Amino acid sequence: MSETAKTKAPMEPLFSKKNRKLVTDPLTDNNPVTIQVLGICSALAITVQVEQGVVMGAAVLFVLVLGNLIISLMRNLIPSRIRIIVQLVVVAALVIIVNQVLMAFLPDVSEKLSVFVGLIITNCIIMGRFEAFAMANKPWPSVMDGLGNALGYAGLLILVAVFRELFGSGSLYGFPIFGSPIPTPDSPLGTGLYAMGYMNNNMMILPPMALVIVGVIIWVQRSRNKDLVESH
Amino acid sequence: MESTLDIFVKAIFSENMIFAYFLGMCSYLAVSKTVKTAVGLGAAVIFVLVVTVPVNYLLENYMLKEGALAWLDPSLADLDLSFLAFIMFIAVVASIVQLVEMLVEKFAPALYGALGIFLPLIAVNCSILGGALFMQDRQYSTILDATAFSLGSGIGWFIAIVAIAAIREKIRYSHVPAPLRGLGITFIITGLMGIAFMSFSGIKYGKEVKEDKVAVVVTGMNTNTVNK
Amino acid sequence: MAINKDSNAYTLTFAIIMVVIVGTILALLSVSLKPMQKKNAKVKMKMDILSAMMSTDEKNDLNRGNTEAKFDELIQIEKALVLDMTGAIRSEISGKAVLDVNIRKERRDKTLAEVDKNYPLFIGKKNGETMYVIPVVGNGLWGPIWGNVSLGEDLKTIKGASFGHKGETPGLGAEITQGFFIDRWIGEEISVAGEAVKFEVVKNGSGSDQTKVDGITGGTITSVGVQEMVNRCMKPYVEYFKTL
Repeated sequence: MSETAKTKAPMEPLFSKKNRKLVTDPLTDNNPVTIQVLGICSALAITVQVEQGVVMGAAVLFVLVLGNLIISLMRNLIPSRIRIIVQLVVVAALVIIVNQVLMAFLPDVSEKLSVFVGLIITNCIIMGRFEAFAMANKPWPSVMDGLGNALGYAGLLILVAVFRELFGSGSLYGFPIFGSPIPTPDSPLGTGLYAMGYMNNNMMILPPMALVIVGVIIWVQRSRNKDLVESH
Repeated sequence: MESTLDIFVKAIFSENMIFAYFLGMCSYLAVSKTVKTAVGLGAAVIFVLVVTVPVNYLLENYMLKEGALAWLDPSLADLDLSFLAFIMFIAVVASIVQLVEMLVEKFAPALYGALGIFLPLIAVNCSILGGALFMQDRQYSTILDATAFSLGSGIGWFIAIVAIAAIREKIRYSHVPAPLRGLGITFIITGLMGIAFMSFSGIKYGKEVKEDKVAVVVTGMNTNTVNK
Repeated sequence: MAINKDSNAYTLTFAIIMVVIVGTILALLSVSLKPMQKKNAKVKMKMDILSAMMSTDEKNDLNRGNTEAKFDELIQIEKALVLDMTGAIRSEISGKAVLDVNIRKERRDKTLAEVDKNYPLFIGKKNGETMYVIPVVGNGLWGPIWGNVSLGEDLKTIKGASFGHKGETPGLGAEITQGFFIDRWIGEEISVAGEAVKFEVVKNGSGSDQTKVDGITGGTITSVGVQEMVNRCMKPYVEYFKTL
């Protein structure tokens, strides 16, 4: 990308320890979803299948990295009184552009994504990172920050989706793991594990279970890292 | 078709913004530590939803929809501005929030004291834009229906945040495992509340009464198949 | 040269410049990409119609590249026609123009009277057998659902179907697009002695009856939506077939 090439000027090496930390931190100890409490709205609605999580993660990655870059380049020009509106317009415009281009050139991907378009705009991670990071930092660190946060978000999304799809639908990324629950003439219960009486847990597919799974992930994460424990 | 009352009740319960769609979760989790602040934010959300959704409704139907500009001039009937929908909705939300903030500050300082700090939060609350997008998607036939929907959604959101805040105030006195304290337990409780709210989806709304009188058979526990 | 970033003039100028730039980019993009988007939508529509006539394996071979050729091969577009709600032929629309009828849009348009709604019928030939493809549209749990149902030469036995949805629950309602659900419709008959039947979507395993189709566990509302959609949309066609 030509835009990122321009930012190679700073003295500091591109992958200095500080910049690497910007990427790695959000993956674990500063995860946007479990610690910063951002972007939960969409994290829960679309984690029924791994595939959706991947598509959403990729879309957010794209918008967040590019958005962070744009906001960071404009950070000294944006009047502070209307900065929220400016940020919103940048997100909305980026998302519309992505959607329009996909609709024309990759219609199948666009169909998959169409449901999420609105969700990307309202994703608080994007606005949150614009406001908290890109408004006050140089373009290159902003790109790294966007990358890290988007990956942390996508990672969590996929983790939740793995649990929900595996136990809720008995498959992963659409591939059946436990056999097929569809009755056949010789085995009325289906094939594989289902023939032995195993049943999918439909509860997992329902939206509230996403919340419970995220809750449990937070539990595991915080019991491994005591610094993150809240007093109340 | 659905009556206005149906739309209203549905928006509060079976299609609750928080429990069915997870919209506005971020501020829901952040501002639900005490009932007092929760009531403030909840009221602000109701207010902003009721103002923005009808405005966006007019915008959608008289400007953005394909052929919506035909009222200006018949030659504009082919114009389709729907690609601008997101950006227009969000601009309307952000500017109305700003406007409301200024008006409230000027004319009702007491109310501003109570709601003021929440108003900027609301511009980025997913439930507000979500309300506009649902309104667009569901194509309500009158502005009254759209307003009923926005009021219902707001009330549903209010109920959700006040309920979780009340629970969080009480849970402080319980022995929650340390790593689960705060965010973790809030997530799990919200999940359980969501399950409770799902029972509202069993409400039968009075739609399509005149259409079919054949018993609708449900793929559930009790199936009464009516042979034809 | 210090610019006062908080002055009204600066804020206003900035806002105007931003709106102009963003507006221009979006408008240009939208206008230049529109023809391709429209074409994609049309190809998708043809794909849906074709897949209603096809077995699961054939559906897998269907892609955007070969749709146009297949469509010309299997569908006799000059025979396509449009009915009104009573089953009478609307002679003003026929042939290629039928593809421009958008029943999904008509359903969403609340200002359109029932009598003005169009019911397109596509006629195709596969392996020497004539097939009638009927587009249907209805409501699922979260949003619109749609599909195509193809009938055999006897004008009542369902030979194939394809269903689509906008945003049903993945793993539950969204399963209506899957082969196993479509297979449950195949072989059902839409009319008995010339009168339209009402399908019922029932609990798994009890759908052996001619008018009953197994629903999807956990996808109740979507399954019932499909039932309502097929029942409602078939009526004009059954009326029309009586006159043949």
